[in-house]
Amino acid sequence: MSIKLKALLKSPWVFHLSTGSCNNCDIEILDCLTPRFDIERFGMLLVGSIKHADVLLITGSGNRKSMERAKRLYEQIPKPCLVVAVGECALSRGMFVHSYNCPVPIDKVIPVDVYIPGCPPKPEAIIAGVVKLIEKVRKSTEKK
Amino acid sequence: MIYIFYFLFFGFLLTAIIGLLASWIDRKVTAKVQYRVGPPLLQPLIDIVKLLGKETLIPAGSSKITFLMSPVIGLVSVILVSTLLWINNIYPAKSFLGDLIVVLYLLVIPSISIIMGGFASRNPLASLGASREMKLILSYELPFILAVLVTVIKSGFTFRLGEILTFQAQNGAFVRSWSGALALIVAIICMQAKLALVPFDIPEAETEISGGVLIEYSGSGLAIYRLMKNMLMFTVPFFLIIVFIGGLRLDGIHLLYGVLKYIGLVALMTVIRNTNPRVRIDQAVKFFWGPVTIIAIIAVILALLGR
Amino acid sequence: MTREEVLDDLRRKFKDDIIEVFDKSPKRVYVEIKPDSIVQVASYIFKDLKARFNTASGVDLRYHMEILYHFLIEDINLLISLRVKLQKQKLEIDSISPIFEGSSWIEREIHEILGINFKGHKDLRKLLLPDDWPEGVYPLRRDYKEWDKNVIRDRGV
Repeated sequence: MSIKLKALLKSPWVFHLSTGSCNNCDIEILDCLTPRFDIERFGMLLVGSIKHADVLLITGSGNRKSMERAKRLYEQIPKPCLVVAVGECALSRGMFVHSYNCPVPIDKVIPVDVYIPGCPPKPEAIIAGVVKLIEKVRKSTEKK
Repeated sequence: MIYIFYFLFFGFLLTAIIGLLASWIDRKVTAKVQYRVGPPLLQPLIDIVKLLGKETLIPAGSSKITFLMSPVIGLVSVILVSTLLWINNIYPAKSFLGDLIVVLYLLVIPSISIIMGGFASRNPLASLGASREMKLILSYELPFILAVLVTVIKSGFTFRLGEILTFQAQNGAFVRSWSGALALIVAIICMQAKLALVPFDIPEAETEISGGVLIEYSGSGLAIYRLMKNMLMFTVPFFLIIVFIGGLRLDGIHLLYGVLKYIGLVALMTVIRNTNPRVRIDQAVKFFWGPVTIIAIIAVILALLGR
Repeated sequence: MTREEVLDDLRRKFKDDIIEVFDKSPKRVYVEIKPDSIVQVASYIFKDLKARFNTASGVDLRYHMEILYHFLIEDINLLISLRVKLQKQKLEIDSISPIFEGSSWIEREIHEILGINFKGHKDLRKLLLPDDWPEGVYPLRRDYKEWDKNVIRDRGV
């Protein structure tokens, strides 16, 4: 695996975006940063600006208003990047399938790499999902 | 020719390695204080390597040359300061007249490069962070210079770093006297502001103005800024050790003492960083122009009286 | 003032405006009034009884629409809900935002979601819907139809 990708997997910096969620998934993501499930030992940091980030964590069902902004944010994140969708609402809008304000699921607007189901997913599930993402990236570069 | 060797090896490589190690010590001790496991040993190096591999985005409408040149200017000035300090530490006879003033001037340039970078990105949050950094420089430079003035007075009004070192080798370190101890305390507080650590990390307040000055930097620009900050974490304590505590003598048991002095300063910085909240900019300016300057003036008066 | 005193006071002052008083529980009372007298009753409850305006709800029932204004009197733990029934042909009512500013945003939201016109409101623009939402389409009415051609309404499984 190239050194770029190895360094990317060993220190992914996370940016958290909520496109209209009920905040439960956001609280569970915040739980991952606490001393109990410490993610700084994997090198992850929570950054404040999108231009410093490698991983984009999306929660919430995509509103009409917030999907415009999410698309602009995806264009600003420096590539190579990874996108993770957390929670049922981010996967397929959950129970808001027939809502007037959520026309399309998020992965028709932004390409998503890993889906983490749950309402909300436990912090152990979030960490397991991120581990599966790292395995997937490793395998897809080894096959080439 | 020999100076290029010093520049590359001592100035850049050794400073970078020790600076990255100091940054790792800082993060690991913070993690242990917060009852968790911290990052592995090579984490700051991996951060910089990863950032060099990402693409660099330049905001539209910004001044491109200033945007890309500011981190390089900051890094070059830190390398120059480190080279000067190492040369004076190993061969005190090679210092020239006034190199203390040169070092003081060169140590302001990293902060100025952050301000330039903040104003060159066309972003209101970055301008806000850069203007706060300007106010911070105005406030902490005065006590810092007064504290260094104490050592100049005590070593017989000389402006050569080498003579300060030899004076301390003969008569004991400056920190053993009253004025030296007060000046060291003032200098440690100003060092906390110069390195932009909590409680004075106002320009790069992460959660408040989402990245502050560095909000538009990505890829190699950010990598050079982080390398500059990590190298400053070695250079400024090294300067304080030379000027106040007697330098890093490289023979026998004094090497161990030197390493302990440096680790002690880094540990002090980390402890202050972990136990304090961030202050507002007007509180910081009042703090530096109030109590800290008064203590520095008392130290200068005590030094003039000979204590 | 206790709960009984408050209700008797209201009944006495607005004898011909109140249509019905419904005691749901010791903490909640539903008072139905005519649409023309909402400003008087609301200003009386807000100013003289010193109640706090919580929120307002709009409902689209089968043959008419309703707006409920919820006021809370904290000392005696009583929630008074003023119910106003509007006919579907004539969806307008006086706005209560000249009395207190706190109701201007909820009236903007009811206007953009249900289509009820508030007369006398200073600034009746959109609050939550996006800017390119078509005019005259009110999402939470019973006869709302999907106007967007590019929606995906299945979960993909």
